[in-house]
Order: sequence, then structure tokens, then C-alpha cells
Amino acid sequence: MRALPSRRSRLRLVTGLAVGALALAGCGGDDSTSSDSADGGGSAAPTSDVRVGLAYDVGGRGDRSFNDAAAAGLDQAVEEFGVEKLELSPNASGSDRGDNLRSLAEDGFDPVIAVGFAYAETLAEVATDFPETTFFIVDDSSVEAPNVKSLVFAEEQGSFLVGAAAALKSESGNVGFIGGVQTPLLEKFEAGFAAGAEQAKPGITVQTAYLSQPPDFSGFNDPAGGSESANGMYDNGADVVYAAAGGSGVGVFQSALAKDKLAIGVDSDQYESVGASNPELQPVILTSMLKRVDVAVFDSLEKFVNGETIEAVTTFDLSNDGITYATSGGFVDDISAQLEDLKQQIIDGEITVPSTP
Amino acid sequence: MSTPVVELAGITKRFPGVVANRDVDLSVQAGEVHAVVGENGAGKSTLMKILYGMQRPDEGVIRVDGAEVAFKSASDAIDAGIGMVHQHFMLADNLTVLENVVLGAEPRRGGRLDTRTARARILELSERYGLGVDPDALVEELGVGDRQRVEILKVLFRGARVLILDEPTAVLVPQEVDELFASLAGLRAEGVAVVFISHKLDEVLRVADAVTVLRAGTTVTTVPAQGTTPRALAELMVGSELPTPETRESTVTDVVQLDVQHLSVRSPEGRPVVDDVSFRIRRGEVLGIAGVEGNGQVELVEALLGLRASTGTVRLGDQDVSGWSTRARREGGIGYVPEDRHRQGLLLSASLWENRVLGHQGRRPARRGPWIDRRAARADTARIVEEYGVKTPGVSVPAFALSGGNQQKLVVGREMSGAPTLLVASHPTRGVDVGAQAQLWDHLRTARAQGLAVLLVSADLEELIGLSDTLVVMLRGRFVATLDPAGTTPESLGSAMTGAAA
Amino acid sequence: MSTAAPERLDPGPLRRAPRVDGRALLLAVAAPLLAAVVALAVSSIALVVSGSDPFTVYETMLAEGSDLRSVLITVNNGVPLYLAGLAVSIGFRMGLFNIGVEGQYQLAALLAAAAGAAVELPAVLHVLLIVLVAVSVGAAWAGVAGVLKTTRGVSEVISTIMLNVIAAGLAAYLLATYLQERVEGSNNQATPEIAPSGRFPTLDAPLEALGVTLPQGTSLNGFVLVAVLVGVLYWLLVGRSRFGFDLKATGLSPSAAVASGVDAKRMTVTVMLLSGGVAGLVGLAQVLGDTYDYGLEFTSGLGLTGIGVALLGRNSPVGIAFAALLFAFLERSSATLQRIDVPTEIYVIMQGTIVLSVVVAYEVVRRVGVAQAERAVRAATGDRA
Repeated sequence: MRALPSRRSRLRLVTGLAVGALALAGCGGDDSTSSDSADGGGSAAPTSDVRVGLAYDVGGRGDRSFNDAAAAGLDQAVEEFGVEKLELSPNASGSDRGDNLRSLAEDGFDPVIAVGFAYAETLAEVATDFPETTFFIVDDSSVEAPNVKSLVFAEEQGSFLVGAAAALKSESGNVGFIGGVQTPLLEKFEAGFAAGAEQAKPGITVQTAYLSQPPDFSGFNDPAGGSESANGMYDNGADVVYAAAGGSGVGVFQSALAKDKLAIGVDSDQYESVGASNPELQPVILTSMLKRVDVAVFDSLEKFVNGETIEAVTTFDLSNDGITYATSGGFVDDISAQLEDLKQQIIDGEITVPSTP
Repeated sequence: MSTPVVELAGITKRFPGVVANRDVDLSVQAGEVHAVVGENGAGKSTLMKILYGMQRPDEGVIRVDGAEVAFKSASDAIDAGIGMVHQHFMLADNLTVLENVVLGAEPRRGGRLDTRTARARILELSERYGLGVDPDALVEELGVGDRQRVEILKVLFRGARVLILDEPTAVLVPQEVDELFASLAGLRAEGVAVVFISHKLDEVLRVADAVTVLRAGTTVTTVPAQGTTPRALAELMVGSELPTPETRESTVTDVVQLDVQHLSVRSPEGRPVVDDVSFRIRRGEVLGIAGVEGNGQVELVEALLGLRASTGTVRLGDQDVSGWSTRARREGGIGYVPEDRHRQGLLLSASLWENRVLGHQGRRPARRGPWIDRRAARADTARIVEEYGVKTPGVSVPAFALSGGNQQKLVVGREMSGAPTLLVASHPTRGVDVGAQAQLWDHLRTARAQGLAVLLVSADLEELIGLSDTLVVMLRGRFVATLDPAGTTPESLGSAMTGAAA
Repeated sequence: MSTAAPERLDPGPLRRAPRVDGRALLLAVAAPLLAAVVALAVSSIALVVSGSDPFTVYETMLAEGSDLRSVLITVNNGVPLYLAGLAVSIGFRMGLFNIGVEGQYQLAALLAAAAGAAVELPAVLHVLLIVLVAVSVGAAWAGVAGVLKTTRGVSEVISTIMLNVIAAGLAAYLLATYLQERVEGSNNQATPEIAPSGRFPTLDAPLEALGVTLPQGTSLNGFVLVAVLVGVLYWLLVGRSRFGFDLKATGLSPSAAVASGVDAKRMTVTVMLLSGGVAGLVGLAQVLGDTYDYGLEFTSGLGLTGIGVALLGRNSPVGIAFAALLFAFLERSSATLQRIDVPTEIYVIMQGTIVLSVVVAYEVVRRVGVAQAERAVRAATGDRA
């Protein structure tokens, strides 16, 4: 779901110079960027002469969110097919996205995966210059070129289901949505959530807030802001809040814990991912809206390696499990029948989920 | 003579490229007020820093009660009973006298400040030395004289038997000076030795028992105060015959250059600080304004320059400049020697030639179209350096590197450039040594003879009396008396300033 | 009685060390050298801590950085940083902290891109219109802070930070509502593309005429020329003009400047307008010479980096150029370094370390310079302390 830079690194330049050296030690662990080749592995390791280039969006590998999901799909492909990989992250301002994309293609990587809609503009140009290379782009389907394959998600569908879950669990008839940055992408989440809540409990109140406005993308990495915003919603009567805000979600969960309310995670199963380091937050994470970027990346690579035809646009939604909701913790077991019913109605086209608020 | 409480013998202190003190001797007895006089740069400061442990001499010895000592820092000096009262007070305004006095030397009992002991001690010291200090007064509510006594008490509280006073009268009005001297008499009676540094030779002679004269880094002589005169001391200081500010030959013309009518300035709270003042200055006339500081002189001067909002009319020559900006007024012919040259007169870290441009940005030779004419500015700075005898290796050195006197010469030289018709001069020779003072007076006299109108504000009463053609006394924002300098003495002027003779 | 000047003097870290005689040259070289040594040392420690070999890293940076493509990318990315540095620096000159370059350039770029896309004009006029809109918007936005300071005494630091927030909200709102062109399948929001008449030509043709073969897909942004022009104007205005003198005087001593006839309020507003005007140009290198629109992926953060650039460049147009290129070079290095397993964040640490080292080194050298100047005067005049 997240796609553009936080300005954290830039602010750090001005304010936290001295801290920088310490931060680096922390960053180092997350950055396992490398051109691993499976050739050096054990005898059982599969091999392939496919060389995959992957360009992250700002934040890069180690963001525990969107980019990491893509990384997981890539790693799985390395493991299962033995493809070679090279990953590049742009600088903090994102000014070298195009250069990275181009250099991957130029160095002979094929396919090249662009993670995030922000690559669309430069991809159009690079794809023309390298017609023999296959490009994948996540979260965008606007680039029309024979060698560009789009991987897009029906985030509104998953958001619809967690919206319904929120409404069913709400005793106050009041739920909240917190978006990281107010972009069209995030508005899909909002629209689906509100529609799902309304579907499950007509007349329900849905509070909405965004943490920042583009091009300021700090809202994806502002736990304090998330916490503050959630506090306001809980105080206004909400008892379940959907945090579609990347790294800021932790703040929402903390607020829920403090106020003895519930919250919903996003992208990955945050009961597991956040719970791994903060087990005390697990009881408040009702469910998570899963956007399986890892599945999208892995499936696409699988098709590529096997030489299968790849659609110009692949949409990941409820029907192919590219979008779903998490059941960890068992908090939604009692309403799973209703949720599954709604899910089936969406898949069958009986319910059309709006993608704009 | 008994053993001196403090003795400096053969002190030499070198800084790279310069010898600040050369073979200086100073011997101070207990119960003596010992003045140290000398021009700026004569080495007084360095000598006092050595005595107070802030500098270590390269040669020579310091003895306290006859025993040789070596101070590593000021705290060693304090431990040896030597304390210093600086020219600029170091008091925290928002604390009480007691808190200020004990700050850094707190008597404790059980880890807590022992207020009772401290108060008793302060009252006892105040009583014994006749300082009249209230330990519970808030410092910000105290006058300058009171603050100074707090500083003295602070030093005594730390057990000082030798008190160094650096230019203690520079900030005081005559009545406060009298009070200070009364306090010094109390200290002397109790056996405290006072080292008194000053420019003001008449004051030195009023209070000191002995006077040591420094010149060019070395001791000229030590003389008993009795039987010597200010003039004799000044000549020892400069090493030559001395000029006087006397200018009795009138150059006043009939042409009014500055005509001020009903000028008023209000403080931010709405209180009139300059209250309906009217006066005229003719070409070739020096109007001297006497007054205790803080009676509206600063505001009057700034109003004339357009730096402060005012009501009333100001005419310069035949033009009404009341609504003009500062720049227009300056370019219209007003030269300005500010009271605080560091604050208003100079860009300290900028070069001399850039300082020449300051205030003359819009005029030749500094200006050429929209540009600054650097070459012309440098050339004209060189001219000022030459004409005013500014001691400097060049016009590119930063202004802060110059001594105060040389900075002031540069400022006056600049303000005399561009043919001003009116010079507003606040304390033009404050902090300037005797030699430079005489030069500046000469320049003022010459300009006056050529028809310059001068508004002179000064705290140096001799300067005021000597230079002015007309003297007015300013009190609480008003002109309360007009005096003929010919029949005025510093004493009579001093009492007029406090309103006694008004 | 003594020269009290040194104690009272506090020209701050932003001003240049004073110059005296031939040693000035030595001092001038000493500061950057000292800074470089310190920055290299700290960066090396950071690299070792993160498990990399500093020498390999520096070698790679130099080898990759001197490649023609890297050079062009560095120059292109240096242009907006240079303009941002200049914008901040104009304020620094008189002690004004325009933290608002960030908001100024974003709002300016958005409105300029929208205006440019809305009209069709002959080539030169079209570009001029876009530039005019950008400069006006940037100046107006900064001018608000100037007026608030002079009429209400609001610190420009506070007001420009607030204005950044407002600019961000306003720009996002305008883009989302009135100014965007919907593209099917895109999650981006962007203004429509500016017609070719409103685009800034690249410098590829002149380069090729000089015999340079450009790598595929890499251009030299024509806005480099604008940056150079603004730099020259900055030098003339700040370094040589009466206005520049007033500016410097106000920065060194506001009270002395006012006494010399400088109208402090007018100066504040003028400087904010100028600073904002230059800030308005920051985003145009991208809008006019690269993307031809303003979208969500528009580069943000340049205004804040500009503060670092201005500090590093020490308010001199040439120094700022070096600083901007150095920052752009380090950013560029982040792309090459990740190929040898170096964390990308290292370049942020290097940037920070360099700024810090420079500020400290110049302060140290300034103090040496002060002491030297005083000695020189004493030696020349026989005056004693």
C-alpha cells in the first residue's frame, strides 16, 4: 500500500546527524542487499539463468511493509527457482528512481520489477529503450507497452471485509479509518472500508483521517501521529480503527491498547509481524487486510521462469487470494461465516465495492 | 613601611609579537587605595589579569604578605585573598542580593543552602564596611551604584583582603561616585587594600593614597596622591605636554542649521521620555547636553536620527526632515557618532573599509550606481586612517582588532566625511585614551570652525564644558537649564544635572 | 579600557572568517581540509561499524562517480540543490532562517506546472510564463513570513515551518481536486503534461557538438544554465551591490545597520521575497526539464537539504555550488554502493557528517583568524592588550 518516501532520512540529515552513526548499525541488519546467486548453494539447489532486477521504492528493503513484501516474494523465487537477483533502493528524495531502473535494464537484468506506482512515469521511457526486457510494475496499470506487465490489487475488496468485521465487532456503532497519506491509492482503502462497515451495520458512523498530504509521505512512518489520531477517534466514540498507514500503524495499536479498544492492521498479517516484537499489542489487532505483494511478485516470476504467458495487467483480488484478511488470534472466528459470505458475494459480483470515497 | 599585602616585582608578559608588560613593579599596602593609571594599551589590563590569576607572567614574581605565590587561575587568587570587581557587572538580575552573593560560594549545612548564616554574614560585612546592602532586595530593582556595592560585597564575602576595581566610576553619576568613595574609605579603614584602575584622574586623586602610572607596558613611577595634579599625572601617562578641550574663541554664526520644535518621544508604555523639547543649533555652534544617563538623551539623539518615532518638527537647514527616514536624514547631512560604537557604529567582524561604507552606502565615494565602489571605499578609508591617525596595518583588517580609541577615530573620521552639516555626537571620546581624546577634540574644533553644527552629549563634564558654546541640562526628558560654559564648573554642572540647582 | 571587542564579538558560525594578509590563504585552505579529514574519519568509522571496508567504498564511489552517466546525473540532481542552497543562503546573509523553502518550491512547482499545462504559447514565452508563475508563488509564500515578522514580530523560523505545513496541505488539495489529470490505471495524481513549447531544452546537442557521446537515456538538464545565471546574479547582488552591503551589515549587526539607515523591516520583507523567488525555481528543473508535470512522485525534501547545502557552501555562490554537487554526488553514490552491500543510508550519514565537520572546522579556523588579526594589528601598531 505504501508507495512513496517518508522524509525521515532527510530530517535526520538536519536534526540527527550524530545519531546517524548509531542508526547505521541498526540499518545494517536490515539491508541484506546483494547479488546472491544460487549457484554457490548446495547441490540440491535449483539453478536458473534468469537474472531478476528489483527496484524498491523509497525506504527500500527493511521497511517492514510494502517493500519488504516484494522482497519476500523475490527471496522465495531465489530459493525455489535459483534465479539471480539484484535489488536497488532509491535515495531518500526518490530522485534517482529512473536511473536505477535504467541501470538494471542496462546491466542485462530481465525481468526488472518496479515496486510502486511512482515508477510509472520513468518506466514508460525506459521500457521503450529496452524493448527486449520484461518489466513488472506494482500498483500501476497506466503504462501501455508490450513489455510492461502491471500487477495491481483490489485493495478496496479486502478493506470492505475488514470494514464489515469492524462494524460487526463494534458495540458503539462508530468505527475509524486512518490513512497514512492521502493519495488515490489510500482512498481505495477508505472507500472499501466505509462501504463494508455500512453493509454490515447500516447507519454506522465512520470517522476518517489521513496523517499527511503528498508529497509529504511521512504519514507512512509516523507512529506518534498515528497514535494521536487514533486517540481522537477512540475519544469520539470509535471502538475499532483501521490503520492503513504502514509504519504508523504501531501507534494506532498502542493507542488501542491504552484505551482498551480494537484496531485493524494492513498489508501483512500484523498480528504476526508487529506481534513478533510487540506481543502485548496482539490482543488489540482484530484482523489485518492482506495485500499479497509477495504473492504477486512470486507468481509473476514463476510464470516468467516457466515461460508462461503473462497478462498485460494482473489484478490481485479476493478471487485469487492476492487480497484477503487475516484470522490470526481467532478474534474474527465468531463472525467468519458472515465475512466469508460477503467475500463470496464480492467474488460473484453480487456486491460491487466502490474504489473512491 | 610594613610588608606590602601584595607586591608585583619585575613582571614581564609577552604575547606573540608584542610585550604587554615589561618589568612592571607594583606594591600595595594594607589599608591603602592604590590607583593604577595609564592610557589604553599601557598594560593595565594585562597587569590586573596577572594579579588576579587570569594570566601568568613570563618573568617576575608575585608576593602576597611577603611570600611568593604562583596563581594558576582566578580561584587561586581568590584563595589568596585577592578579588576583582569587573567593569561590567556579573549579577543575575532575577535573583536577590543574597543569592547573587553566595552564588558559587554557598555556605551549606546538611547539603542545603544555609541562608541564615549567609544573611548574617552579609549583614555583618555590609555593616562593617558601610556598604548599606539589603540582602533580600531583588538585583533588577537596584540602581547601578547599589549593584556595584553588591559586587564588592560578593568579593568580600569570599574573604578578599585585596580588592581590584576596574574602572568603577565609568558607569556612575557624580553622586554615586561620592557614595562609592565613601565605601572605599570604609574598606580602607578596615585594612582592605584597594587597587583602583581609572581614566579619570581627578577622581583618582580624590580617593587614592598612591598612584602608579603605566606607559607603554612599563611602570613610569609611583607617586603619592597628595601633592600631585591631574595634569601632572596625565603628562606622565602620555609622556608629553597635554592639550585641553578649551575652545573659548567663538565660531558661532547666525545661520540656524538645526531647528527642533516641540519634540516628544514616548516610551513603549506611553510615558514621555523626551518631553516637548525645543532648541536650535547654529552653524559653527556646539550645543552640549548634560544630564545623568537615562534622562532622555539617548531617545533625543535617536529621534533626531529618525531611529525612534517622535512628534514635533525637526528642520535641517531649510528643510523639514521630520518625516524622513534615517537614511534620508544621514544623506541630508547628519553625521552620527553613536554612544555605543560596538552596537551602532561598527560592524566588528567586517573590514575597516566596509565600516567606512557603513552609513554611506548611498553616497560617493562608496557608491557607484547600484554597486559598492570597493576601490574608492578603500582609498577613502586610507585617507581617514591617515588624517585621523588610526593605528592599523591596513584597511582590510577587521574592526574588532583595533583598540577602542582607534575604532572611535575611524567612526568620527567616517562621520566627518561627506561634508555633514550637523554632527550628532554621543560620548565621542568615551573609553578613548588621553592622546586619542585630544586628537578627536581637535577634529571637532576644526569642523566647528568650518561651520559644522554639533549636538554633543557627554558624561565627561570637562569635555562638555570645554567644547560647548551652549550647555543645556536634560532632566526627565526636559531641558531644565541653559548654562554658559564659561561660568560653569564640573561641580556646578553636576549638581544642575541632578536637579539640585534647577 | 582594553579592546573589549573580541569578547563581545559573536559573528556566529555562518559568517566568513576574517581575512588578514597572506596567512588568509592558509586559513582559507585549512578549514575545508580540516573538515574533510574529520568527515572522512567519521564516515570511515560508520562504515566499519556497518561492516564495510572504507577503502573499497571510497574507491567504488570515485570509480563509479567519475563515469560520464554518473557525472551527468550528479549535475542534474545538483541543480535543484544548488538553487535551494542559494534560496536559504540569501536569508542566512542577514540572519533570517527561511526554513520554508520546502513549502515554497513545492507550491510554486505545482502552480507553475498547472499554469504551464493550461496554456499554449510560443516556446520562449511559454517557458518564461512558467518561470514567472513559479518565482511569484515562491516569493509570495515566503513574503507572508516576511510580513508576519515585520508587522507582528512572528519569528520567521516558526512561520515558515507552519507555512510548509499549509503549503503541503494546499498543494495536495489543489492537485487532488482541480489540477490533476486522471490517467486510467494509474495510482498517481499529476498535472497534465506541459506542451513541448513550454519545456526547457536539454544541453545534449551542444555536448554532442563538443564530441561528447551521451549514454542512452541520459541528458544534461538545460536548467543548469539557469542555476549558473542565478548564481552569478546572487554574487553580483550579495557581494557587490549596495543592497548586498545592507544585507551583510544587517546580518553582522542589526543595530548598526539600522543606525546606518537600513530600513530593517523593508529589508526583511525584501529578503524573504528574494529567497522565496529563488526557492520557486527549485522544482522547475524537474518540471521543465524532466517530468513536464507535477505529481505525487515529485521530489520532496529539497528545501530541507538546501539548508545543509547552504551551511556547507558558507553562503558563497561558488561554495554552494560545490556543496550541491557534493551532496548530489553522495546521493548518486548510494545507488552504486548498494551493489557492493553498503547500506544506502550511508550517504545521509556522510552528508550530515560533512556539514557538521565544516561548521566546526570553520569555527575553529575563525577563532584562529581572530587571534591572528589581533596580533597582526598589535604587531603593526605597537598597541598593547
